[in-house]
Amino acid sequence: MRRIIRWHELVTDDARYAGEEAGIETRPVQPAAEFIAAPAGQTAGSGAAILIGPGDELEPLAPHLALLSLIVVDFPKIGEGRGFSQARMLRQRYRYAGELRARGALKRDQLFFLARCGFDSFDLDPTEDLQAALAALNDFSVAYQDGSDAVVKVQRRAGSA
Amino acid sequence: MYRYDQIDQTLVNERVTQFRDQTRRFLAGELTEDEFRPLRLRNGLYIQRFAPMLRVSIPYGLLSTGQLRMLAHIARSYDRGYGHFTTRQNIQYNWPQLERVPDILADLASVEMHAIQTSGNCIRNITSDHLAGVAPDEIADPRPYCEIIRQWAALHPEFSYLPRKFKIAVTASPADRAAVEIHDVGVRIKRVSPHAEIGFEILAGGGLGRTPILGKVIRPYLPQADLLAYLEAILRVYNRHGRRDNIHKARIKILLRTLGAQEFTRQVEHEFEANREFAPRLEAHEVERMRGFFAPPPYQRFEDGAPDCGSVGSGKPAYDAWLRYNTRRHKIPGYRVVFVSLKKHGEAPGDMSAEQMEALAQLADRVSFGMVRATHDQNLVLADVPQSALPEVWRQLDALGLATANIGTLTDMICCPGLDFCSLANAGSIDVAKQIHARFDDLDYLYDLGPIEIKMSGCMNACGHHHIGHIGILGVDKHGKEWYQITIGGSSTGPAALGEVIGPSVPKDQVGETIARLLEVYLRERQGEDERFVDAVRRIGIEPFQERVYETNHSLA
Repeated sequence: MRRIIRWHELVTDDARYAGEEAGIETRPVQPAAEFIAAPAGQTAGSGAAILIGPGDELEPLAPHLALLSLIVVDFPKIGEGRGFSQARMLRQRYRYAGELRARGALKRDQLFFLARCGFDSFDLDPTEDLQAALAALNDFSVAYQDGSDAVVKVQRRAGSA
Repeated sequence: MYRYDQIDQTLVNERVTQFRDQTRRFLAGELTEDEFRPLRLRNGLYIQRFAPMLRVSIPYGLLSTGQLRMLAHIARSYDRGYGHFTTRQNIQYNWPQLERVPDILADLASVEMHAIQTSGNCIRNITSDHLAGVAPDEIADPRPYCEIIRQWAALHPEFSYLPRKFKIAVTASPADRAAVEIHDVGVRIKRVSPHAEIGFEILAGGGLGRTPILGKVIRPYLPQADLLAYLEAILRVYNRHGRRDNIHKARIKILLRTLGAQEFTRQVEHEFEANREFAPRLEAHEVERMRGFFAPPPYQRFEDGAPDCGSVGSGKPAYDAWLRYNTRRHKIPGYRVVFVSLKKHGEAPGDMSAEQMEALAQLADRVSFGMVRATHDQNLVLADVPQSALPEVWRQLDALGLATANIGTLTDMICCPGLDFCSLANAGSIDVAKQIHARFDDLDYLYDLGPIEIKMSGCMNACGHHHIGHIGILGVDKHGKEWYQITIGGSSTGPAALGEVIGPSVPKDQVGETIARLLEVYLRERQGEDERFVDAVRRIGIEPFQERVYETNHSLA
């Protein structure tokens, strides 16, 4: 079974992507476009899970966000960076409060940035050592920017608001 | 200068720890080369032709003498006793061992330095005017804003995996010594009236490389408080929509060109408005706090007129030439700005030995408030030298081989490391620089030519900024041989301009002859001594130069 990091713990992944076999207690993750195109009433309803690609626009998702319990953002290649912006926009502008997962060609080295952008679960490259990855969430104890996460408390300097 | 507090120091220390582990994993085979590459690059570490190259960040070119001594220590302990100052006001080491790079970073951290984001697809070192704070023509000191942008950009969670590198430059002077028009984003400090609040004119989409484009103004006036919010908007539009499928089309300039400046600007403005609630706001008291770090040093005030520049005995003509070419006016009476020439004949432009660094540090401690600056022309500057100390400074620099009186002249060339070091290069640069030095070693002739900028790159990535040289030299590979394409009429400073190619490229041994012919035409055609080479090219066009260079009875044709 695939292991992931969620809310600072290692857990077994219950997500099931297109082409994967259905298992006990797995939940399907629908591509975002498919989810949006489905006629009302035929979607998985409240608690649905979707997958968005790096080029996907977020605006069409806006009316549906309250229905979602999991958004998986795909990082298909090393160096892919669009998902960082998507995450921040989902958390801030669109006020998405459900689980936000980064998935793909990601190592522990990106975790700190991902968490600061608002991701709270991580499905990393299968070769990654997940125990070490958990520790990498704490690679930095300070930052210059505000983040959506709880990982780093921005330490405002004396005199700053 | 800016001094680290606990937060800054913790951040660079933790970065050293992180990079140490990344290096260990690579050496242990836990990271593939493909996985390690983006990690090491964003820490300034390239794998070059012979050895790794480490690029160390010098934010907006400003160095304390303590830091300069550390750069000397690193050159001596980890490298071959020298370093190379770059066109981004940084320094590169060409021979460190990969295993020892984490130790170098730890040494750097001990003097408030790092190599964060000196390469890779992220926001690079913020560059600025090397005369910031001392230039008589500046509107305000740009360095507080540079430091604010530096901190905002450092390990930015959203913008650490951009489509391509991203360069920001800040200027506060109409002369624009920071060349903001060739940057991904250029920031021009602006006041609408002399006592109005500081704001900014924002340019975007400039860059050299294989598609040289000058940046366009996308925001004529931005209030100070919105600086970071606006940068976030630009970066977000770029991060989401810049091309990632083709490395040669991935810079923001291509996005801007594809969308058109108007549509690009519309998207940025839209993002800026939509994100207002979440974007960082630059508070006035934060700017004030930052300004405090760049307060003027305790200048001596000369009530009864400043002492003059002194005189020397036997070396008088050389001293006078040095005064004229290697020093500049300072905004405080009685002080001069001194350029330290790293363009001596026989040396690779921008190279400096550990001994020179240490001696210069000692000199700067005595005569320039313990500070040194790196210029984007690959020289150094002592910014605050009392005029009375100039004879001594000249003697010292002369003894160190750092007083070649050629600043702003033909042999003050910008030059990338080229084929001698760089794995991207198609052709050598350093030995062409030597060829030019050898051919034009008559200083009187150089002085007669007046200000002229030669910029040379060993490949079309244009690290040597050849497009904006008055004379640009680009190394190209032709069937395994080194050839050089020549452009003329480019300019880095207000207004910037891209040079025009004069014709077919020339073989290596003919570069000096080609330049000699260009200069011959210039001297024949120029109207008065004040008309610079580049002005003459603008006035008469490139044809007369082409005719002379490619005359049929000559081997260049």
